[in-house]
Amino acid sequence: MSESVIAISGLTRRFGAKTALASVTLSLPRGAVYGLVGANGAGKTTLIKHILGLLRAQEGTVRIFGHDPVADPVAVLSRVGYLSEENDVPGWMRVHELIRYSRAFYPAWDDAYAEELRTMFALDPMAKVKSLSKGQKARAGLLIALAYRPELLVLDEPSSGLDPIVRRDILGAVIRSVAEEGRTVLFSSHLLEEVEQVADHVTMISGGRIVVSAPLNEIKESHRAGERLPTLDEIFIAHAAKRN
Amino acid sequence: MRSAAAAIGWEFRRRHRWGLLALACYPIAMAILRMSGRKIHIDDEQSFAFVVAVPLTATFLYLVSVFSFGLSGDLSARRSIYPSRMFTLPVTNSALAGWPMLYGGVAVTILWAVTRLLALWPSGISVPVIWPALLAASLLAWTQALTWMPYALPGLRVIVTILWLAAIDAIIMIALNFKAGELVMLAILAPHVPLAYVTARYAIARARRGDEPDWRPLFRAAAPRRREHFPSPARAQTWLEWRQHGRSLPAAVAIVLPFELALLFLFRETPALVFEMLIVVLTTPPLLAVFAAATVSGSSLTKFIATRPMTSASLIAAKLKVTIASTLAAWLLVLVATPIALKLSGTWPLVIERVHRLAEVVGAPHAAIAMLLVFVALLATTWKQLVQSLYVGLSGREWLVKGSVFLALAIVAVIVPAAHWAMTNKALIALVWNAGGWILAIIVCLKLAAAASIAIRLYDKRLLSDRALVLGALLWSATVFAVYGVLAWTFPEVMIRRYVLALVAIVAVPLARLSAAPLALAWNRHR
Repeated sequence: MSESVIAISGLTRRFGAKTALASVTLSLPRGAVYGLVGANGAGKTTLIKHILGLLRAQEGTVRIFGHDPVADPVAVLSRVGYLSEENDVPGWMRVHELIRYSRAFYPAWDDAYAEELRTMFALDPMAKVKSLSKGQKARAGLLIALAYRPELLVLDEPSSGLDPIVRRDILGAVIRSVAEEGRTVLFSSHLLEEVEQVADHVTMISGGRIVVSAPLNEIKESHRAGERLPTLDEIFIAHAAKRN
Repeated sequence: MRSAAAAIGWEFRRRHRWGLLALACYPIAMAILRMSGRKIHIDDEQSFAFVVAVPLTATFLYLVSVFSFGLSGDLSARRSIYPSRMFTLPVTNSALAGWPMLYGGVAVTILWAVTRLLALWPSGISVPVIWPALLAASLLAWTQALTWMPYALPGLRVIVTILWLAAIDAIIMIALNFKAGELVMLAILAPHVPLAYVTARYAIARARRGDEPDWRPLFRAAAPRRREHFPSPARAQTWLEWRQHGRSLPAAVAIVLPFELALLFLFRETPALVFEMLIVVLTTPPLLAVFAAATVSGSSLTKFIATRPMTSASLIAAKLKVTIASTLAAWLLVLVATPIALKLSGTWPLVIERVHRLAEVVGAPHAAIAMLLVFVALLATTWKQLVQSLYVGLSGREWLVKGSVFLALAIVAVIVPAAHWAMTNKALIALVWNAGGWILAIIVCLKLAAAASIAIRLYDKRLLSDRALVLGALLWSATVFAVYGVLAWTFPEVMIRRYVLALVAIVAVPLARLSAAPLALAWNRHR
């Protein structure tokens, strides 16, 4: 039986008068790559913050691996790898200190894998995080998100503003995570061709509501116009136009 | 908005409107007092300090922070604290330097004008007309110029700025000592603002083109050695907390202590001053802990920390461990440096002689225990200062942090003059003394009610385990009993009744505010 890694039901979130999420219901089974797409301010990051327990559900429920991430952050966060666009790793840490600090939290931390990633990403262990370029910081963040082989990898706009080489590293990490049996990736991005390259399922969010959530192939088939399958970009624009 | 000047001015007004509005309450209160026609005299120094000097200084410091961008910049960093986003505006360096300096200068001039016009000045003193405004504008302009400058070493900005401003203050004090008139003071101060403006323009030009010298390699030792893995998440988090905040208090003590101890060499011929200096040295860690507490509770709970797989209680536990280590490190510095300074300054025999006299009066064991108790009390006070406002900063709510600062200032501004007035009223003193037990009992009831409410919330939200709650309660009770025992040993029953001592012990040991820290962090972490 495929247990839901993420089970969200009737989730509503308001910030003052603005409704950021409106009755969102979502269930992501184990072992696939889920692309979360939407315009700026659509509610992607708000949804991800609920998954990580950084926001408390005002209405509805959020369960990750069957746990409430607010009530039981240890049970959830110890199984989740997270990389965000902000990537606010303390700048004063050296890369080797960041690795040393992070490994303490995860019993499944794989030293050999961490070292392999560090070498692959060409990260100087003595370099301070604040002296790294944006791309190197993203790689350092990716290293500590991957080195314990998390069951759920959450990437929130990870490649925004990064060069193609770093973006390739991030996509490679997604593919590698999926290749390992039973792992799940939730990948939020503006770069729809990237999502298209790696996602099995796509959830499109607009104005705090889920407008489409289905396997990518099904979505493309349902939007087929003639012989050619539309790209995710075209589908996204079509939905945006319909909404406006 | 049609000009850079208007846009820069609008930003200051918009960002700091609540703070500026709150500050406006003071002149309004002064104006009401003036207009009420009541004759209020403030001829003693304390009343003058709390009615005029303290609010004036606090307002000036706030304006300095606002107009130098100090509220949003990193003072200890090498880079300029001038907001880098403004470097890309299509305006000249002169405009970037000049407009904040002009607005700040106008603000402090208005502050002085309003204070001079409305404040209740002690009778018989001649209040200067213009030069204090020019002094305030000069200090502000130099603060802006020196904090906007990029530096070659971290922390250099603070040292350079303090030394330069202290030098200007020293010149003014010397001039006042020689009873310099208004014109002389104006002549001394006149060149400062233009010079500061030129310096500020140079600072911004350098910061704008990224001209940041770096002398750190000169001081860098061999590459840091790699260390063993942390045995637990708690140890890793404690290490992070120590690196981020733990060194603030020991570092502050290490900076201030040499200046204080240097005075022992100056005053070695005057025993009374030597003991006054020792009191200052011993109260330095608790005093600096008040300021270091702001870094410990720092309101910026980053996503990086918030997504560590730890409970909020464990994150707090790491902070508490670090505050204990900080306190011990700060006191270790005092305990090592002070005897050395006493010995080198030749004032050691004075202290030994005073200790012998105390031992003769109360007996050697009592003298030893009394000194030990004073030390433990100072140590505990230092730690208490570090942790008692933890819940405010950890809540991550800017309104709560600012509100608590304003509340504290308001309480000081009201309570201290009120207490000063009350001290002169014998009937009131007798009333308070007789009702002291009741007052304490009410405070204890409020404290225990708040603690019970917090404990229920901690239990309901499962932020602390049952065992931790029970252990915490037992530890608090044991500490209260220990403090009560010490108080009962120190004060005979004929002087203060035992139940009053018990109430004092309950009030003295932190409980409610400390217990609120995990709740505040969870409130911030899971918004």
